[in-house]
Amino acid sequence: MTDPAPLSPLVEIAGLSVRFRTKRGPGDVLDAASLVIPAGTSVGLVGESGCGKSTLMKAVMGVLADNAEITAGQILHNGTDLLRADAETLRRKRWAEISMITQSALNSLNPVHTVGDQIVEAIRAHRPVSVAEAREMAAQMLALVGVEPRRARDYPHQFSGGMRQRAIIAMALVLQPGLVLADEPTTSLDMIVQDQIFRKIRSLQAELGFSMLLVTHDLAVVIENCSRMAVMYAGRIVEEGLVADVVNAPFHPYTLGLKNSLPRIDRTSEPIAIPGAPPDPVDMPQGCRFAPRCPFALPVCRSQPPVLETVGEGHRSACHRNAEIPGLRPRAARFATWHDTATTDITEDIQ
Amino acid sequence: MRQYILRRCWHMLITLFALMTIMFFLFRLLPGDPAMTVISSAMYPKAQEAMRAQFGLDKPLLQQYLIYLQNLITFDFGYSFHSSRSVSELLGGRIVNTLVLILPSMILAYLLGAVLGALMGWYRGGRFETAMVLVFTVLQAAPVFWLGMLAILLFSINLGWFPPGHLVTPGMFVNRDLWMYLSADFLHHLALPFIVHTSYQIAFPLLLMRSSMLSTAGEDFVEFARIKGLPERRILFRHAARNSMLPVATTIPMILGWALAGSVVIETVFSWPGLGLLMIEGVQRSDFPVVQAAFYLIAVLTILGTFVADILYGILDPRIVYD
Repeated sequence: MTDPAPLSPLVEIAGLSVRFRTKRGPGDVLDAASLVIPAGTSVGLVGESGCGKSTLMKAVMGVLADNAEITAGQILHNGTDLLRADAETLRRKRWAEISMITQSALNSLNPVHTVGDQIVEAIRAHRPVSVAEAREMAAQMLALVGVEPRRARDYPHQFSGGMRQRAIIAMALVLQPGLVLADEPTTSLDMIVQDQIFRKIRSLQAELGFSMLLVTHDLAVVIENCSRMAVMYAGRIVEEGLVADVVNAPFHPYTLGLKNSLPRIDRTSEPIAIPGAPPDPVDMPQGCRFAPRCPFALPVCRSQPPVLETVGEGHRSACHRNAEIPGLRPRAARFATWHDTATTDITEDIQ
Repeated sequence: MRQYILRRCWHMLITLFALMTIMFFLFRLLPGDPAMTVISSAMYPKAQEAMRAQFGLDKPLLQQYLIYLQNLITFDFGYSFHSSRSVSELLGGRIVNTLVLILPSMILAYLLGAVLGALMGWYRGGRFETAMVLVFTVLQAAPVFWLGMLAILLFSINLGWFPPGHLVTPGMFVNRDLWMYLSADFLHHLALPFIVHTSYQIAFPLLLMRSSMLSTAGEDFVEFARIKGLPERRILFRHAARNSMLPVATTIPMILGWALAGSVVIETVFSWPGLGLLMIEGVQRSDFPVVQAAFYLIAVLTILGTFVADILYGILDPRIVYD
């Protein structure tokens, strides 16, 4: 996959910090996260549960929870800062210009309204069309995603999981927005349906030309669907670049770990899990947030937060040991590196 | 849907039958012989027996039971011990008086309660909202007779805005017909018991709707409605409130039965000649046929209310399976 040279950014998230007020104190869920989504491309955002992926999406959508506060940054969409726009402007932009495919279609659809009505209301909230015209638009879109249009009269509980997800996709695309945010759109589905859904999304994208921000914890999904990707860990973007570069030559140890945890079809190696758990948002590590789990961490990693540095063309990584990483990659692929850090790390470093 | 209604009809018939059976034995289990209130022990034994035969009390219990069922089904409640008029005739006017007070007030309480509760749940946390919660909690906790007495004291005795009781000004209407129920005099008399009953009944649906809204507001589909860029009012009413109504709707039959039974209290306070007051009078005069009939009608109205609410619930929640 190649990146056509000068792409105008459709959305530019710059230095976005979000803090949650919790009973245990403030939690830094997003720390200076920056991300560019060029027009007409798919960008993948990968990270563990709770790393801030969904918070980033909600910030773009302007639906952060009441206890969340945006402490810094801007989100530029076609030149307008969404964080400084008034409520009515935002409401008009939502869905018409930026729509979203949610994680759980079952919970996103209101159980007491028919699927058709829920698409129709989304259309009529943004376009001055009659109910009949909106129904026609909904029927066409449903047909396009592979749901029989007559099923529009059914309630969500009468749909299968795959059909509900398709209905959400139809709803997300019916107003032909420029950007679609997809928040783990297929986590609740089995592999075959998951594959069908992504094929459908890709063909629709080719047809309609929207940009997509695909948020997932599944690296394989990103490899299949995106041209660019960013890796997020504990509220920070730790690596970003073209999918091919990041996957084939990862720089950040977290990305190396993520790649290890992918099951390999050729069975040349068993998946290796990253030991430990992500840090507590109310008690983030001082330096690099990945340092406590990182087999390559040095004293400087625990005191100084690393910044994103260019490591290749359009490829950036936030690690103090960026320069040494190419040499460390073979070690990162070994099980012992991750699971016996106490004994191996020091000795191998001396050698 | 039709099957669902038919099934609910069938359930209703079974409930009615159970009710009638329980009532038959309940009144026969009461201490003392009800017949003795009309049949004087001073009568000749022969005359006593003749009267017993006239009431059908000489027949075997099973036969009495079957006759009783037949009578109830045809709304033949016999004659009042006290006035010797037929019980159906006595009840006829009274039931209208009760319904005209209780039903509109319940409908208003549920509609207004649901809307106010929805708004309070949506815009929660303000000082005004906290004060409202306090006011309605007090209203719900206060006994209705006490509220009624306070209202009479304030609005009738001190301010003189409303008459303290009765259906109409005594002597103003010769015939109790439709015109009476539409007259300004009647409405003037209705106002105070209506306001008291509504204020008392509104607290429950309102507080329930409010807490139901609090949990619905956190649902994914409400956030999704916001993501879809729907106007705030549409999210509030079409999504959050619409779904929060479900648990509130389930309480309608229970509360309606409670309100009909509670008409005894409000009608006594306001000397409102309804079913409840008739029941009190019947009990005081040991007028068994009247009490039994009033009891029966209140139960039938409650069962009908439950039936309507069940159908309503089936319409409100498409996930209800009709088979």
